[in-house]
Order: sequence, then structure tokens, then C-alpha cells
Amino acid sequence: MDPSLTPAFVSVSDVVIGLSLGSRLFLIAVGLSLIFGVLGVLNFAHGAFYMIGAYVTLAVTNQVIDNFWLAVLAGAVAVGAIGALIEIGTIRPLYERAEGELDQLIVTFGFVLVIHEAVRFVWGSQPYSIDAPASLAFSVSVAGSTFSAYRLFVIGAAFVVMAGLWLFITKTYFGALVRGTSSDREMASMLGVDVPKLYTAVFFLGSFLAGLGGALSAPLQSTSPALGDQVIIDAFIIVVIGGLGSMFGAFVGAMLVGLMQAIGPQFIAAGHIAIPFLAMVIVLLLRPEGLFGGIGE
Amino acid sequence: MVREPGTIRNNENRFGDRVRRRTVLKAAGTGLAATGLAGCLGDDDDGTVTLGAMYIFSGFASLYGDEAERGYEMAVEEINENGGIDGQDVEIIARDTEGDADTAIRQMTSLIEEDGVDGLFGLDSSGVAQAMAPQVEEQQIPLMVTHAATPFLTSPEGEHDNSVGNEWVFRNCNSLSIDMYGAAQVASELDVSEWATIGPDYAFGYETWDYFEAFAEGLGVDAEFTDEQYPALETSDFTPYISAIIDAEPEGVITPLWGADLTTFLGQADEAGWFDAIEYTLFSVGMGTDLPADGSPLPEGQHASTRYDPFVPETEENETFRETYYEEYETLPTYNAEGAYRAVYLYKEAIEEGENDPDAIRDTFTGMDHSGPVGEYQFAEETNQAVVPAIWGTVTEDAEWESNVLDPVEVHEVDADELDDLLADSELPSGV
Repeated sequence: MDPSLTPAFVSVSDVVIGLSLGSRLFLIAVGLSLIFGVLGVLNFAHGAFYMIGAYVTLAVTNQVIDNFWLAVLAGAVAVGAIGALIEIGTIRPLYERAEGELDQLIVTFGFVLVIHEAVRFVWGSQPYSIDAPASLAFSVSVAGSTFSAYRLFVIGAAFVVMAGLWLFITKTYFGALVRGTSSDREMASMLGVDVPKLYTAVFFLGSFLAGLGGALSAPLQSTSPALGDQVIIDAFIIVVIGGLGSMFGAFVGAMLVGLMQAIGPQFIAAGHIAIPFLAMVIVLLLRPEGLFGGIGE
Repeated sequence: MVREPGTIRNNENRFGDRVRRRTVLKAAGTGLAATGLAGCLGDDDDGTVTLGAMYIFSGFASLYGDEAERGYEMAVEEINENGGIDGQDVEIIARDTEGDADTAIRQMTSLIEEDGVDGLFGLDSSGVAQAMAPQVEEQQIPLMVTHAATPFLTSPEGEHDNSVGNEWVFRNCNSLSIDMYGAAQVASELDVSEWATIGPDYAFGYETWDYFEAFAEGLGVDAEFTDEQYPALETSDFTPYISAIIDAEPEGVITPLWGADLTTFLGQADEAGWFDAIEYTLFSVGMGTDLPADGSPLPEGQHASTRYDPFVPETEENETFRETYYEEYETLPTYNAEGAYRAVYLYKEAIEEGENDPDAIRDTFTGMDHSGPVGEYQFAEETNQAVVPAIWGTVTEDAEWESNVLDPVEVHEVDADELDDLLADSELPSGV
């Protein structure tokens, strides 16, 4: 028997690694899902936003202030602001167009190329790495495997963000506006909701989350211009599995995909990259709306 | 430093091509990328020897092109200051292959048809080199490969399904099969009962493992070859693969990860406790680029190979090259720099010995004896592969050069017949 096909024991370390991969994927996928759920915009540039979050964090810690947490905040806010500006300047004029969805898609795809080249122009093609914050730069032993405390922190952060978003959407006035507008834009508008502003706010929030994901992931991966392209594919798989527009779906989908990425290599030497795609195909065939559906669920 | 005219042109080209390609190709999804500014430059038959250099100058492996550029620029400067080639200046026109076969072939066509180059050299990627080989044969122009390592490039067409070697394609550096012969020699001296690999998910990663296993078995190494991991190029997080290897508990791992992937891998492997868990890691491309000198070098005490070592052999020629290079660039020369440097000199020697004509250059290259920083060597007549040794050593920090070096370093001389014998039980060609 080919040893590369020998089934292997799935260890606790694989699960932890899978959850940490899933956590950062969640932060990008949930923003993608939120923006689609409310605005109906499929934001191709979301992976590029995630990448900017990582680069801004890198630049701030290296050149502005040697404080990782402030740099993370700066990365997330900067990406949120970039997202809001893009929404106001280039996507808002397209909402009323017939066939507007296709135009939006092309515009956001255009930004993928623009951001990719801009990043290369500023930082070059080489990868950068960044150290985890000193307060979490120690190792933790889990079931015989060693992890950096920071990796575990990122998993915790994803759970906190999930809980926070759920409370925000279901328990706050803003959340009620978001849910209302997502289910009937015209009705919300007639009832006095400032829809354009709300859209910009949601785009800011979704972009902020992508930036946060990129910023928090910076110490766990190398940051290079290829980063955005890699994660956007995963994010699309996740939202298809979880259900476009569903926050909870994005969470479950992200963790599933993270686990598939972590455990796959234990079973097959190459080609495990296809496992999440297969899962997506199965979900599309059996439950085309995804495992969960609709904003706020 | 005074930059050669060809190099300036190269930079303009590189940038122009890159922007156009990224925007046009990706947006439109067509193969419309033009061939650069070359069209405006016209044919080049004005008393200079013009060579086309093709390397990766952009993207995650761009440091290979940068290293090669240093090497050939140095050669051009030296040659032109000392009377040129038969009295004619040599000029290099550099083009970015982007590590992509289609782009490389387009660039090659442009170099031949629009710039009228007298010969080609370069190529970092084996995949690109394999795609180029039939093309240079069709165009009847000599190609001196200085980096791409697949044995199938110099294995004569027909020897194996993947063999693409022909009379126009030469390689002046050691190949993957020579390197893995050296790796197997290293393995034969280590007390390892189980080997694993983590390599890039394309031919180079798989071939490294196949040849390593075949040579080790040929040499009678008593070990099992078990876990294989092939992450995609430009993976940003190797952690799952690292974990899978550590869980499999091999004592030795051979890795042909290279370029930025190797840098990323090293940081993450260190974090995961790789170097405590795995006794021996053999880095087959480890001393290849700026890794010896940059901020995340290979850990001391690990085994690594190189296709050229700045301290081997201890000849005046090598010492002069090393010192001049260090003075110019404040870093030790890497093998890509040396290979590119030597390619220009190979053309000089061939043209001066015969004439500046593609057939004559090809004929002189065939079976040619040559000497360069790498030492004295000969091109095997059957394959056009330079018979140069495999070089493996232990990574050691050297305070004098402020760099990692291989010390002690072992030079494994190569004999084509011996390689063929060792591979006899496999279906793999040695390409030597």
C-alpha cells in the first residue's frame, strides 16, 4: 500500500491548527457574507482587504509604534475606511442599474488588481513576517503538542467576534435596521432608514472584519501579495457551504474548511487542497442555499 | 556602478511588461500580453554580441532573477573592459519569464525575432525550461540553462516520456539528479531509518523525492521512505504540513522548498518545534538565494546543498570571482549569480573559438571543456549537461563573511556511468 495513502491518526494538534486556520478564515468570510446579505454585493476585493490589514499592521509596528495591538486596530480601521470609500465612490452609483450585480462584481474585481499591484509597488513581492506580541509569545502544551499562545488567542478572538456580532445584529437598534434593510430595502427606505448610509456602515463593518482578520493573522503566516488571492477562494467556499448572508453559516463553514485544511495532509500527500471544493460541491448539490441561510441567523 | 545599456533596457522592459501583463491578462483573461518594448528597438546586428537573459524578475521568486542579474552584469563589465568578445562589446537583454512557460516562450520569440540575439541563457523554473526546450530546437538557437534543475531537460528526447533534451539545450550547473546523488551520499552516512519529504506541489517537489529515494536505494541506504507532503507554491501557512510530518515521526526529512516558501517554512517550522522533533533536515535548495545572508537563515548544523560554493574549489579563479563579487555587492555570490556569470563567459569562449553563428556556438558547446569559479568541468556529449560535482555541507555561521556558509563541505564528484548504474532499478534518467 502506498504509504502516502495510509490513514493517519487525527491528533489534537490537527484540530487546534484547524480551528486556528478556521478562525482567520471566519473573520474574512463573515464580512463577505454580511456585505452580500445586506447589500447584495459580492465583494471580490475582500481577500485583498484582508491582505491590506496584514500589511498595515506590519507597517505600523515597524515604522510608527511598536505596539502590536494598536497596529491591529490601525489595520482594521484602515481597511474599514478603504472599504467605505470604495463603496461610496464606486459601488453606490451602481445599485440602481439594471444588471448592476455584474457591474459591481467587475468593479470589485478591478480593485483586486489595483490593490495587488499597489501592494507590490509599495512593499515588493517578498514575504514579510511579524512577531507575535510579547505578552503572548510563549508556548502552551495541549495534549502533548506545542502551540504558541498567540495561535490559541486567535481562536478565542474568533469566538468573541462571532458572539459580539450576533449580539450586535440581534440585540441593537442598528442591528434591527440592518436586518430590516436586508429583507426589504424599499420598505426600510420608506420607513425613514437612510439606506445609503446604512450600506456604507455595513460595508465599513465587513471590511473592518477582513482587515482585523488579516491583522490578527499576520504573526501566523507570511504576508505577501499572494495572500489575498489565497484567502478569497477559501472565503467563497465557506460562504457557499455556510449559506451566503449567514453569519453563523460563515462561522461553521470557516471552522469546517479550517479543519479540512489541517487534517487533509494527514491522509493524502497532495490534492487535499481539493477537499473543501468537494465539500462545496456536495453542499451545492444537496442544499444549494447552504447549511444556514439569511442574515442574523 | 555603471549599468550596462542592456540592463537599463531590461528594467524598462520588465516594468512595462509586468504592468501590461497584470492588467491586461487578468482583466481580459486573454493571452494578449505584448512582448515589451523590444519591437521598437529593432534588430541588433551592429557589431555587438547580444545575449538574451531569461529569469524570474517579478513575483515571489524574483530574488533569483536579481541574483542572476548581478552575475551577468559583472561578467559583461569584465568582458567589455578587457576587449569584449573578439573585439565586440557584449550586451545583455534581460526578460522576465515570470516563472510562466507561455510568458517565457513569448519573451524568447521576441528576443530572437525582434532583438536578433545571438544566444540565450538563464531559466529558473524546470517547468519553464521543459516547455522551452522544443522551442529553442525549432528556432535553432543555443540555450545555456543556468538554474532550472530537472534531469529531464538534459535527458535526450525519447529516453523517458518526460525527456526533452536536444542538441540546442545545455546546462552549466548541476542538476537535480546530481544534487540528489549528493543527498543520498549524505543519507548513507546518517543513522536514519525513516525519511520523509516536504516539497512544492509540482514536478520539482516530486522529482526530488523520486531521485532521492532512487539514489539512496542504489547506494544501499537502509531506510524507509514514508511521509510526503506537497504544499502549493506560495503557501502562507505551512503549519498543517509541518504538523503532519512531525506526527509521522521521521528521523530525517529532505526538503526542496525554495525561495520565499523556504523562508516562510523556516519560521513556522521553528515555531512548531520542528528542529527538536526532526533530527536531520536536508535542504536541497537551502543555500540557493539570499537565505545565507538575510534575516531568517537556515539553522546552523542543518545539511544543505548548493550548486556552487564560493569557497570550492580553492582556485585563484574562484577566489578572484568571490572577492570581486563581494566588493561589488557586499554579499557572497550565490549559485544563480555564478551560473549567470559563467554563461556569459561560455558564450565568449565559444564565439572566440569558432564564430558568432548559432550552429558554430552549439558545436563548440558540445563536449566543451571549460573552467570557471565552479572549477574545471566538461559538458557531457550525450546530454549537454555540465559534469560538475554535488556539494553538500553543514550550515555554519561565518563571522568573517557575516553569512551562513557550508562548513565542513563535502564535494561529491560525479561520474555519468555511476549515476546511471545507481538509477538502474528505477525508470529515472540521470540526464548526465
